[in-house]
Amino acid sequence: MTPREFTTVEMMTCVAARLFEDSRAYFIGFGMPQIAAVLAQKLYTPNIIWVYEYGTIAPQFPLPFEPLILGDSKSNYRAVSWKDMNHVFAQASQGFIDYGMLGALQIDPYGNINSSYIGGTYEHPGRRFAGAGGANGIASLCWRTIFVMMQEKRRFVPKLDFVTSPGYLDGSPQAREKAGLPAHTGPYRVVTPMALFDFDEQTHRMRLIATAPAVTVEEVLAEMAFEPLMATTVDTLVPPTADELMWLRERVDPARLVIGKGKTIRL
Amino acid sequence: MQILQSGHGDFYFQDPDAVRAQRAHKDRGLTNKLMTEQQAVSRFVADGDYIGCDLTYFIRGPNALIHEVIRQRRKDLWFCAKYCYAESVLLLGGGCVSRIDVGFVAVGERVLTEAMQDGRVTLSEWTNDSLTLRLLAGAMGVPFLPTRTLLGTDTLTYSGAKVIEDPFTGKVICLVPALVPDVALIHAHQADMHGNARVLGASTAPMEQAMASKKVIVQTEEVIEPEEIRRHPGHTTIPYYVVDAVVHVPFGAYPGTCPGLYVADTPALTEAMQALDSREAMQHYLETYVYSAPSFAEMLELRVGVKRLLELKGRERYREGYYDAS
Repeated sequence: MTPREFTTVEMMTCVAARLFEDSRAYFIGFGMPQIAAVLAQKLYTPNIIWVYEYGTIAPQFPLPFEPLILGDSKSNYRAVSWKDMNHVFAQASQGFIDYGMLGALQIDPYGNINSSYIGGTYEHPGRRFAGAGGANGIASLCWRTIFVMMQEKRRFVPKLDFVTSPGYLDGSPQAREKAGLPAHTGPYRVVTPMALFDFDEQTHRMRLIATAPAVTVEEVLAEMAFEPLMATTVDTLVPPTADELMWLRERVDPARLVIGKGKTIRL
Repeated sequence: MQILQSGHGDFYFQDPDAVRAQRAHKDRGLTNKLMTEQQAVSRFVADGDYIGCDLTYFIRGPNALIHEVIRQRRKDLWFCAKYCYAESVLLLGGGCVSRIDVGFVAVGERVLTEAMQDGRVTLSEWTNDSLTLRLLAGAMGVPFLPTRTLLGTDTLTYSGAKVIEDPFTGKVICLVPALVPDVALIHAHQADMHGNARVLGASTAPMEQAMASKKVIVQTEEVIEPEEIRRHPGHTTIPYYVVDAVVHVPFGAYPGTCPGLYVADTPALTEAMQALDSREAMQHYLETYVYSAPSFAEMLELRVGVKRLLELKGRERYREGYYDAS
């Protein structure tokens, strides 16, 4: 039976978790990607390999999830190896890491992301943010990059104030290769509480492929400052299953620190 | 060789031969380097120095040393904010820092924005991994290393990286300059009096950070016997002659965690995060946790207490893999 009520963030987490493929390697960013990876590992893909930028390789995460600290003993627990930053980025550079999964503040139609500043100039920013962290390296080197982020008009913009981490750059054919980035890499999916996007193979522009249950295409477009391409058929995402919600609510994030955010959807 | 693009950010750089000359004169004696954090910072951290840490305020950060740098009111430091949650903004609040290589500055964005707008701090743009690669180049004694990151982004434009045609493949490649900090601040689980240090568990780059830097201060949870180091040489992260000072500070990563030993004090971290959100709140935080106590140990005694510290130690349940190998 499909549960009647869930938050959009629970929906987003489940959609992200369903994207995982077993026995593939993932470079996992802070926050939402961790929750999605934990859910995937417990429910669908027990043999995913995930690495963190501080060198942990394939941990088996004890539950419940506690955000805030990335790098404590809990997030490192029962890994196969504890290395360091140069080691895991070397793995990504030589092509071992299939997917990067990242949060993002702001994204453009070609999957470039900004996490540096908004407004003003670089020297005198309107609002300064954390900077690239590991995201530039992850988005440069992993075969495919998945973004998990909130859907708001100020976050989906036609042009970024600052390209912190690379997507398909200007979208022109082989723009990444010409810039010197590894061949056949780039953004793959964007998961939000309202929708799922991919990128058109020819134009490299973001394309709407599905919406969350009870969310219309118009509502998604109202939260974007650019027009995405449209899939021939825009699907409706399968709502969180009873099993997914039980795991999320009772085992992964019982304090609802992450999944409690977002709007409530009643079917 | 043709340079296709040059980032126009300032970058700290030393010719590898100048670094070698410094290393040539560095004392390799088997001496007792134990000292207090006051002694270590006053001897080895000067105004204007470039300083880097391994890890960060929330996780195994060299917090006792960071506090001491603030307490001694060092000025005009250039800080390497690689994987940095709070310390660059704390140093900014203490008036210690005028340049920051970002990295990642996870906390205190408002304070950072204001400082940039007022011209109190200048940033250069890098990434966690490119700064770590720069440290590896510094640790190797070579002037640069290539990377297939940064390319195509504004991050590169505001960094000091250069883009060239790779002479081997003919493809475009990015070069990052070696980073040789004046001082490295590193938190270790265990060290002996000579400076042999064990950093247990996953990490960012303690070995590269120490090897690259001209002066290295290690703060350690525990001082162990040199004989114990020789019994398990595979556990030594940093060999002694790289290190200048060893400071014994139990709970020196508080309020962060030292994995395998104690968990983070989550309410205290939340307090720090909130304090870092405004200049006034941060001054209050610095007054409470830094200026009002003469040392980190005395701050722990005054503001935290034995009961709480033991509780944090007791709550570290995931000890597997840290100490059991030795």
